[in-house]
Amino acid sequence: MIKDNKYYILFFVVFMILLPLAYVVGLVDINTITLWGRYFCFAIAAIGVDLIWGYTGILSMTQALFFCFGAYGMGMYLTLSNLPAGTTLPAFMTWNQVSELPLFWQPFESFPAAMALALFVPAAFAAVFGFFVFRSRIKGVYFAIITQALALAMFLVFSRNETMLGGTNGLTDFKTILGFDLRSSNTKLALYIISFGVLCLVFVYAKNLVKSKFGKSLVAIRDSESRMRFTAYKVTNYNIVIFVIAAVIAAIGGILYLPQTGIITPGRMSVQASIEMVVWVALGGRGSVKGAVIGALLVNLMYSIFTSLMPGAWLYVLGGLFIVTVLYLDKGIVGLFDQLKQKFYPVKSNS
Amino acid sequence: MLKKILLLFMVMLAFVKPIFSMEQDSCIQIILQKDKVSFDEAAHQICERKSIGDIRFAAAILEKRLYKSQTIALTKYKGNDDYVPVFSTTSIGFSKDSIQEVKLSRKQRLAFSSLSKYCNLISAKPEVRIMGYQLLISKGVLSDAPIVKAFIKEELDEKVRLSAQSALMGIMLRSEDLKDQDEALLQMAKSRSGIFVNALKDYAELNAEDAGRAEKANSIIRYIHRKEVFVNFIQNLFSGISLGSILLLVALGLSIIYGLGGVINMSHGEFVMIGAYTTFCMQQIFIAAFPPAWFDFFYIMSIPFAFITSGLMGLLIERLIIKHLYDRPLESLLATWGVSLMLIQLCRTIFGDVTAVKAPSFLNGGIEVIEGLMLPYNRLFIIGLTAFMVVITYLVFNKSRLGLKIRSVTQNRNMSSCVGINTKQIDSLTFMLGSGLAGVAGCAMTLIGNVVPDMGQTFIVDSFLVVVTGGVGKLVGTIVSAMGIGVLSKIFEFFFQAVYGKVVMLGIIIIFLQFKPKGLFPDKGRHSDDD
Amino acid sequence: MLVVNNLFVSFGGVTALNLERFSVKENELRVIIGPNGAGKSTFMDIICGKTKAQKGSVLFKGQELMGMAEVDIAKMGVGRKFQKPSIFSGLSVFDNLLLGIKTHKNVFSTYFYKLKSHHNDKIYEVAKMVGLIDDLQSLAGSLSHGKKQWLEIAIVMLQDADLMLIDEPAAGMSDIEAEKTGELLVEASKTHSVIVIEHDMKFVEQIAIDKVNVLVRGEMLTEGTFDEIKNNKDVIDCYLGSPDSAQEAKVA
Repeated sequence: MIKDNKYYILFFVVFMILLPLAYVVGLVDINTITLWGRYFCFAIAAIGVDLIWGYTGILSMTQALFFCFGAYGMGMYLTLSNLPAGTTLPAFMTWNQVSELPLFWQPFESFPAAMALALFVPAAFAAVFGFFVFRSRIKGVYFAIITQALALAMFLVFSRNETMLGGTNGLTDFKTILGFDLRSSNTKLALYIISFGVLCLVFVYAKNLVKSKFGKSLVAIRDSESRMRFTAYKVTNYNIVIFVIAAVIAAIGGILYLPQTGIITPGRMSVQASIEMVVWVALGGRGSVKGAVIGALLVNLMYSIFTSLMPGAWLYVLGGLFIVTVLYLDKGIVGLFDQLKQKFYPVKSNS
Repeated sequence: MLKKILLLFMVMLAFVKPIFSMEQDSCIQIILQKDKVSFDEAAHQICERKSIGDIRFAAAILEKRLYKSQTIALTKYKGNDDYVPVFSTTSIGFSKDSIQEVKLSRKQRLAFSSLSKYCNLISAKPEVRIMGYQLLISKGVLSDAPIVKAFIKEELDEKVRLSAQSALMGIMLRSEDLKDQDEALLQMAKSRSGIFVNALKDYAELNAEDAGRAEKANSIIRYIHRKEVFVNFIQNLFSGISLGSILLLVALGLSIIYGLGGVINMSHGEFVMIGAYTTFCMQQIFIAAFPPAWFDFFYIMSIPFAFITSGLMGLLIERLIIKHLYDRPLESLLATWGVSLMLIQLCRTIFGDVTAVKAPSFLNGGIEVIEGLMLPYNRLFIIGLTAFMVVITYLVFNKSRLGLKIRSVTQNRNMSSCVGINTKQIDSLTFMLGSGLAGVAGCAMTLIGNVVPDMGQTFIVDSFLVVVTGGVGKLVGTIVSAMGIGVLSKIFEFFFQAVYGKVVMLGIIIIFLQFKPKGLFPDKGRHSDDD
Repeated sequence: MLVVNNLFVSFGGVTALNLERFSVKENELRVIIGPNGAGKSTFMDIICGKTKAQKGSVLFKGQELMGMAEVDIAKMGVGRKFQKPSIFSGLSVFDNLLLGIKTHKNVFSTYFYKLKSHHNDKIYEVAKMVGLIDDLQSLAGSLSHGKKQWLEIAIVMLQDADLMLIDEPAAGMSDIEAEKTGELLVEASKTHSVIVIEHDMKFVEQIAIDKVNVLVRGEMLTEGTFDEIKNNKDVIDCYLGSPDSAQEAKVA
């Protein structure tokens, strides 16, 4: 147990203290900090994916969509709070001959309301959609396909101009958040630290969740849904609840992601984005919370490296990762390390 | 080209009759001689007279291509350097040396401007003539009636004649005679063609104080609109069927593969893409290596080649990757998604971003079933091709030994293996067949869209929906749901906008799955799916 | 406890089950035997809601089960052990048993569940009973086939189901294991009603302390004590009729 904690402490120290310190001293520039801040947002989303897919065995292709719900919520607040002096409407609305702020935009003028909605909307969406889909026992492949179609449909809806969400250009051009200048290094550092803090909180929450009886019942649903039913558990409700939890976690990631990227477009919610999230988790190690985090950080780091060194190669690498992970890394990197540990330090797993 | 020349000839033949008398006409001669004294008078007379010959003559003047050889008026047509008599096509002897241009001043030319609106009517191209008549429907005046009538008598092209008659109807609507108006209204109501809407609107406005007449015109407009809606609806239905056909071709392979091995092949769309690029390559080969006259054969050739290329590529991927993933649908989904990313990128590296296949000439155009309802040949071809492939698939599956083996492995892998079926071989073959079908779908898709590296992605999600709704591994189910989804989504696009149509479609599928979670045609009997 | 009337099921036109009447009393251990495809498992599937019957009625504690969802039937107190062991292979044996234990099983209660000492005791008690006490921390998926069977029986027992439907508990077990299973079931039947499907005649003899039913081609051939059944001419004709199956029965 202590041995395990050692790594957590190391992880915490590196990202909470050493990396910011390195920036203050001048060893790394602010862009690296923001880059890692963004990775943490993906890692948060990955934890959500791990809960729904790694633990419960439900392959959801809507996690990127929920991530975007969060990001759009934040984006709508930032859009309204950053309106140029003298204008009452975002520019894209003026271009579309809208004269009045649409009703659904109005709550986003206030920060608390915007944040509440950024979490509530994905939760409610997941609950309603989950209710209909899980009730008819659509699961496994069917669920993956239906959610794919949903992601595609929502992508199309968000891309339209008349839905008043900025169309394909999305929401962008923010200068301040709560009065702080988004381009200032201090704000960026603060956002980085907040993201990391939230990642730690979500991590601890997820860790406790999977250890609880609820977490066990999720694994039980993955292993044998019918046994779960015959043991008097209403599986449908469990599925809905974990779907909602995963959606909210993804949305949290999205909320933190937006101010660090400055733009959100419908492209982020595509099927491809969701599948990529699944591969982060698969590579890191499904059914392990730390695996999800490791996978998300690793793949995104690789993405940054490859796109700057040889842009054409990235899709081959990503495609290869999909295949290698599925064929050879059943339990991901975490599983691989466990196996190696077993090999070199054979300890009986009676903890 | 030959056809065009022939047509030109025929058109000209039409004007043979009035010609000889025209040639010696004094007014024409005055113009040709540029007799300053009586020029205006002659021009005026020609404009008043406006016989077909006059119009041809005026067109030559207005377009600055009037020549003469002694007393013979000559002209040149666009894209042709030969001099042709204005009033005749017969080779009346005129020597080339004696030809001189009849140059007229701007003012002189303008004397004929009142005839300019008829210039289109003497064009050699039927489309241009039709355009000319359509303009007359709403813009013509009563005095145009005789000339239009004359043209109708001479016109040989059926379509153009109909159009000319429409023009006449439009003109008659402006007649002083109420009887003529009624007759025109009656004809318009009969034809129910959209081209009358403007003329009718004008008429209704003009007769605003006569409520009965205005209402009559308006009711015909409504009548026409109703027909247009109906035609649009049928058109949508038809595009729905052709969309459904492509979905079916794509989904058929998916369904077979999923039914057999429990593999969700996300790279299936890329086999579609490979089929399309095979077609593209075949086109390039034909352009480079065969005489142009053979060009159209490239498409016929590329159908089997698309099947083979995609099939072989499928076989390769099955042997390398898929064979490890049987009965692990979710894992196979992820791995094949990776395959799909790599194939798309590979294709982009090789071929670049956008290419297109030129449809063979025999698939240009279409059948016009009723006026305004056009069924394009390329879409009809796609429907036919799909039907053909479905029949072949049915025969392979239900009448051949291979099909028997595939069905038995689908039902019970272990038992099939026990009775001596080489299940691995069957897996490979089936995967190849499924991929090949996707290749044919790709070949078909080149007819209606560009060839781009990620073209497979467009249809993949919809195809999976087809598989889910139809019931896995069921031929009938796949057909019914592909057509259903194709037609319904086009109909929804008709009522809503395309995007919302898609959303509505998805909603309907989810509601449908509430009642039939296993699709339209679920497996019957005892199944032991204890997770 | 359980009363079945005029039950009829067919799959694609083939009659799978056609029962006029069948009933089980409280704390009774009932054994159903019959050749393959006789409809035994189908019968259990219908009681626990997995398969829907075309017509008929299944009354449990006076309430109609037909048309109810599996969960609700399970909540009413019907426990099911499947022919193929169905356990949560990714969880430890302890967690498997924890999930089985009878308590509030709605999401809310599960989410805020804290292990109670009497639940812990109960788990240890049952684990001891089925001989899994040393395996509590092992992954359920890594257990031997026999132990998986016991684990599933233990889950059903912890569920405290009033009616336990046990499908071929001795399949794949050694004689000693089977005997222990038999004892377990006899013990369980003191406080619960139990229906057991079995092929193994020796095992049936051990547990047939109450009545035995013979199911053939979806119909109830006869009902009686083990000795009556053993000597029933119809049963011998039908069930052991052909020399082949007689051989099979003897071997078993």
